[in-house]
Amino acid sequence: MKPPTDRGSLALAAYVYAVLAFIIVPLVIVIPMSFSQNDYLTFPPSGFTLKWYSEYFDSRQWRAATWLSVQVALLTALFASVIGTAATYAMIRGRSRLVTAFQILLIGPIIVPHIALAVGLYLFFQTIGLSGTIPGFVLAHTVLTLPFVVFTMAAALGKVDANLEAAAMSCGATRFQAFRLVTLPLVLPNLVSSALFAFIISFDEPVVSFFLSGVRQKTLPRRMFEDIEQNLTPVIPAIATLLIVLSILILLGAQVLRSRSVTRIASQ
Amino acid sequence: MMEARRSHFWRSDGRRLSGLSTLLLLLPFFALVAFVFVYPILQLLVISILEPHPTSENYARVVENPVHMRVLLRTLWTATLVTALSVVLGFPVAYYMSRAKGTVAALVAVCVILPLWSSVLVRTAAWSFLFQRNGLINSALMSLGLTSQPFKLLYTQSAVVIAMTHVLLPFMILPIYGALRSIPSDYARAAAVLGATRLRTFLEVILPLSLPGVVSGSLLVFLTAIGFFITPALLGSPQEMMISTLVSKQIREVLDWPFAAALVGVLTVFVTLLAVIFSKTLRFDRLMGNAS
Amino acid sequence: MDIASARQSASGASIRISGLEKRFGAVSAVDGVDIDIAAGEFVALLGPSGSGKTTILMSVAGFEFPTSGTIHVDSEDLTYVPSNRRNLGMVFQNYTLFPHMSILDNVAFPLKMRGLRTAERHARAEAALATVRLAGYGYRRPNELSGGQQQRVALARAIVYQPRVLLMDEPLSALDKNLREDMQLEIKRLHAELGITVIFVTHDQSEALTMADRIAVLRDGKIQQIGPARQLYERPANLFTAGFIGEMNFVDVAVQSVGDDISVALPWGETWRLPATAAVEPVAAGEAAVLAVRPERLQFGAGSSGQVIAVTLSDIVYAGAALLLIGRLPDGTEMRARIPGASQLSSLAPGDVASFAIPPEAMLLYRGERQ
Repeated sequence: MKPPTDRGSLALAAYVYAVLAFIIVPLVIVIPMSFSQNDYLTFPPSGFTLKWYSEYFDSRQWRAATWLSVQVALLTALFASVIGTAATYAMIRGRSRLVTAFQILLIGPIIVPHIALAVGLYLFFQTIGLSGTIPGFVLAHTVLTLPFVVFTMAAALGKVDANLEAAAMSCGATRFQAFRLVTLPLVLPNLVSSALFAFIISFDEPVVSFFLSGVRQKTLPRRMFEDIEQNLTPVIPAIATLLIVLSILILLGAQVLRSRSVTRIASQ
Repeated sequence: MMEARRSHFWRSDGRRLSGLSTLLLLLPFFALVAFVFVYPILQLLVISILEPHPTSENYARVVENPVHMRVLLRTLWTATLVTALSVVLGFPVAYYMSRAKGTVAALVAVCVILPLWSSVLVRTAAWSFLFQRNGLINSALMSLGLTSQPFKLLYTQSAVVIAMTHVLLPFMILPIYGALRSIPSDYARAAAVLGATRLRTFLEVILPLSLPGVVSGSLLVFLTAIGFFITPALLGSPQEMMISTLVSKQIREVLDWPFAAALVGVLTVFVTLLAVIFSKTLRFDRLMGNAS
Repeated sequence: MDIASARQSASGASIRISGLEKRFGAVSAVDGVDIDIAAGEFVALLGPSGSGKTTILMSVAGFEFPTSGTIHVDSEDLTYVPSNRRNLGMVFQNYTLFPHMSILDNVAFPLKMRGLRTAERHARAEAALATVRLAGYGYRRPNELSGGQQQRVALARAIVYQPRVLLMDEPLSALDKNLREDMQLEIKRLHAELGITVIFVTHDQSEALTMADRIAVLRDGKIQQIGPARQLYERPANLFTAGFIGEMNFVDVAVQSVGDDISVALPWGETWRLPATAAVEPVAAGEAAVLAVRPERLQFGAGSSGQVIAVTLSDIVYAGAALLLIGRLPDGTEMRARIPGASQLSSLAPGDVASFAIPPEAMLLYRGERQ
């Protein structure tokens, strides 16, 4: 295709950049606001200060919420990537009718609205005492993030020739050795990037956290929700900026991992 | 035959796992989903028809009360509007993205993918800053002299629609982009060689072939929009609730569990039916790997 | 460097496949196959796709469990032994080198699985690489090697632990033609050097004919014929093999009488007397039969002996070493002839009627009708 020069293409480009501005400006706008000296969120922001960042870092409540979310997200990433990879491996190399059931159940948590799951878990976890606990958050977030792990790992494992494992076994490796020494190293970048995605989904997850949070155990999204709902202080842009930076870092990490995995697997 | 099948259960033949290993590897997944997904949802459905006693009255209250009916219709209307806006805004972006190369392509991809992986709360909060009485939009309108009085933007249904469109737009763009990318570029060239104008080529070749992506994206956006909670809860008006905010209110303020369960039941059955009907076209995996 | 250690392999093992059956649902992929393979023999399994040849190999390798039947290597029953405990060498179609390991680690992998120490692993892997003429390539990565080199590494990996049997699943089909011929000779040389028993699956008949001591021709999960190349080519046991191996002309005939010789009626009314030895399968008077002749056995002109046919030529193709003449018999049956060094025939043109003689010993008679 030649670079577009005619009027139709220019109009298309103008429209597209307008839509992209619509997408990206609201995200970018919080960054200057987070450095504004005004105590109220007015526009345009004025002056430069880091006080909102120090307010976030100095607040025990924000720190506690962040630490809870970090713990939950780390455990979620661990469980989701291990359980998801095991299940994906069974789906790709396995032999069972359970695989069909797996594929149906997998997309359940994507289709069923989070509000429905959140309400159901709120009721269930209260009766068994998991509400507002780390295990409760981790269990819920693991279910929510599993589909994304499975999609990532299915794409990766699907590219690994089944005969590579067969070759390893004909060399004397057991099935587990074949997986550990051949398949796993090949999909490790994808496994790590799926864990990164599980981490960020859990870390940012607002709905289930909203209902499962207790009076004292509040995740970062739940605390942010309350702050936005009640008084909307300028500490929110500061946290939002930090979260955007975190998302960028995670996407960059995933991109680096992906480029490595593609060259590795495609090189055979 | 039975002999062979039994042997496959206990033994791996090298290329395929044995049935037993398949079961063991899937077991943690099934246990988790049964415990944390299937059971809680079923429990709600059971409550909705058994409490306070075996009854259909919880569901009757959803349809017979005009206030609740309006919530249902508003939810459907909002989801439809958000879906339509997403197609109109998203398709050209997906099309442009599928043709872009190099830096431009990377830039567009970042603009689409970064929001997808950033917090919904961050995006909703950003809109609440923009929509404030003295926020960016009102300041801009007033400094341009278009209005002397700030508009009331926050806590309106328009705010909800705009912010939800913003949040869900990547769900539309990525499936359409995936469909467009899978059209061999030879098709457009062939159509051009055969004498079609660019517009005809687009209308008669590209558009029909990208339709599965449009359907898939529309379903994703619609299904997500229908149960969306955060954005309506933070930007919407308490007088104009959506089904999710109504559920939340029933549980947190009214404590009417059976009715809340019935609302969740309506929502869950509706989206499940839609997903089953369109199960062939839904391509969730497009959201992950095939984007860049 | 101790090259000898990779070569001083124990001689090959004998393999006995008996009553092998593999069903997938209602479909029989392998349907009652018996093959006895002598120690050190090179056997090719040849057949079209879906003939069951790969399934047989996979059953020997342990990647398929048969529905019934047994597989013995020497006298040990391996039918249901897991593949990793069979101690067989295997080469796959698509190289299957581990892309994240160096060439040396790839070749040393089977030794690692057998618990050898690093130093010895590397020494023996180097030796195996030398055996396949890739000494010094050990520190490269698989993607830095050509397809032919990768397949030689796969070969080194399969023989490094001195297995007594080497299984090869269409190992050359991913290579281009010249490389394939080099590799055929390389594999033959290794087979001779190591004395290892080889089962080689291929759909390429010339590859099978060139390389194997014996060839098993398969179709629909059944062995059609098993024997040395010459026997398969010169006296195919049935119509399928006759048509599958090499080029063959077929003419439908009716058997009139069977005695010291066999008289058959040809479609255009002639009656020929064939020697009794022409009948590969027993035929009876009054039955339909098929007369088969290889194109290169036709002699141009009304020759000294045998039957003479008149062929109306439709195509004359210059094919290098030979001239290929294609035409029709009086009843319309297609007939091909390959006449070597036939530059004197340059005057022939399509539409001409040419005479060919068929020597009696070139004629083969089968039951049934042309397919």
